[in-house]
Amino acid sequence: MALIPEYRDDVPRVERFNWLARFSHWGHTVTFLLCLFTGLVLFLDGVNWLAAIFGGYRGAGLVHRVSAVGMTLVIGIGMVFGFKGIIEWIKDLLRFGMNDIKFIMIFPLEFLGFPVKVPPQTRFNGGEKGNSIVTPTCVFLLVLSGYIMWFPAIFPVGLVRVSYWTHDIAMVGATCMVCMHAYLGSFHPGSGESFWGMWKGTVRADWAQHHHAIWYKETYGDKSEAE
Amino acid sequence: MANLANLYDVSKCTACRGCQVACKDWNQLPAVIEPFKGNYQTHDDTNGDTFTIIKFFESEDPVDGVKWDFFKRQCMHCWDAECMKVCPRQAYSKTSWGATLHDPDKCIGCQYCAAACPFEIPKYRKREDVITKCTMCADRVEEGLKPACARTCPSGALTFGDRDELVQVAEARAKFLRANGFPRATIYGKIELGGLNNLYVLTDTPDKFGLPVDPKVSGNVTFWQDWIQPYFGWLIPLMLTASATSFVTSRLLASKNGGHGEHGEGGHE
Repeated sequence: MALIPEYRDDVPRVERFNWLARFSHWGHTVTFLLCLFTGLVLFLDGVNWLAAIFGGYRGAGLVHRVSAVGMTLVIGIGMVFGFKGIIEWIKDLLRFGMNDIKFIMIFPLEFLGFPVKVPPQTRFNGGEKGNSIVTPTCVFLLVLSGYIMWFPAIFPVGLVRVSYWTHDIAMVGATCMVCMHAYLGSFHPGSGESFWGMWKGTVRADWAQHHHAIWYKETYGDKSEAE
Repeated sequence: MANLANLYDVSKCTACRGCQVACKDWNQLPAVIEPFKGNYQTHDDTNGDTFTIIKFFESEDPVDGVKWDFFKRQCMHCWDAECMKVCPRQAYSKTSWGATLHDPDKCIGCQYCAAACPFEIPKYRKREDVITKCTMCADRVEEGLKPACARTCPSGALTFGDRDELVQVAEARAKFLRANGFPRATIYGKIELGGLNNLYVLTDTPDKFGLPVDPKVSGNVTFWQDWIQPYFGWLIPLMLTASATSFVTSRLLASKNGGHGEHGEGGHE
């Protein structure tokens, strides 16, 4: 089996993520991974080989700060130009309901590859909703505590002390989500097609209909009936 | 080697600040000129180029008039130094006689120690992007000399020597002061944080000199160092293992079901 499904343009496809969402997503990917590996240099305490990749501990510190500013810019651009999209995203998250709970209950089986019957999902399924809440919260905490740690002189010392463990917890939380997210959005047989949704912007219509039935019906249902 | 300590007797200090100058001189620290802020204290606090300062505490008493209290502030050289625990590059070390040393060559300027220290002593030197602090003149002491501040003190407020002996000297002096007009005179540094290598004879309670009465390592720092750093990170390899397990089992199950659930089908029946 191939690592990820083949991109097929000979089947009907529907748009899943617009250009800005994709820019924001991959912008976060690059800056987050750079921040993660340069940050682990201090978190893991004594991984000299990892520090050496970035030119030593000071080099890693510099890359960490530059990527952090990059991530802040990506967030800023996304918030300013994609405000409408973020509102729609949040609206979808607020539709968390019975189907999402059922999804999360049954998901461990689907995750391991057992064929299961999943209730119809909105644009983001129960698991994606969870990821959409946990990861941005962690990133928000990381950015906030990160700047406090970067400029401790202008903040009260108590806040700096809180920032240290907040930064670590948020890092672990976000990285755990990213480990799952990266796998589920690429190599996982069931959901691999979603990779093309984020890379090229479109997914196979039949995949969308199967995995996000409610979203597909609401967004493309009427149009496809009219055609 | 027995622990060596610096004893500072508040009641003998005249705030000549010879110790500040001697410290700058020996450690080759450039002058830091701060604007006049309404009292005679030279700097707000110790800084990247100033390892020790004399603090001025002014109070007005209807009977005695204006009262000045002086206090020498520098690294306390804790036995159980928190700066040493939080440092991610092991830049801190303890000498056999009790000084807490910081190696600027190992320092990466993260400033964890500055926030972790219960006395907020380590200071950031921006131009070199490192932390600096008092060394207890370890280079002098190891050659049999006294620290520069103790060597220069003209009024006998600073005494350097064996810590156990100095504790007895300090206790006797505090007792004397209590009987001679300073009823709240006390010593500081004997038991605080398990013991400090800087001892104080104070004419009043520690809070009057800007010292924490019961210094403690912040719970935030302990939580971070003792719980989050050692254990929490294991969640990451756990998640990676889960994904790796799924990678194998989902492919095994798919091939067992004759290609059912493979990518090619869009991942669904």
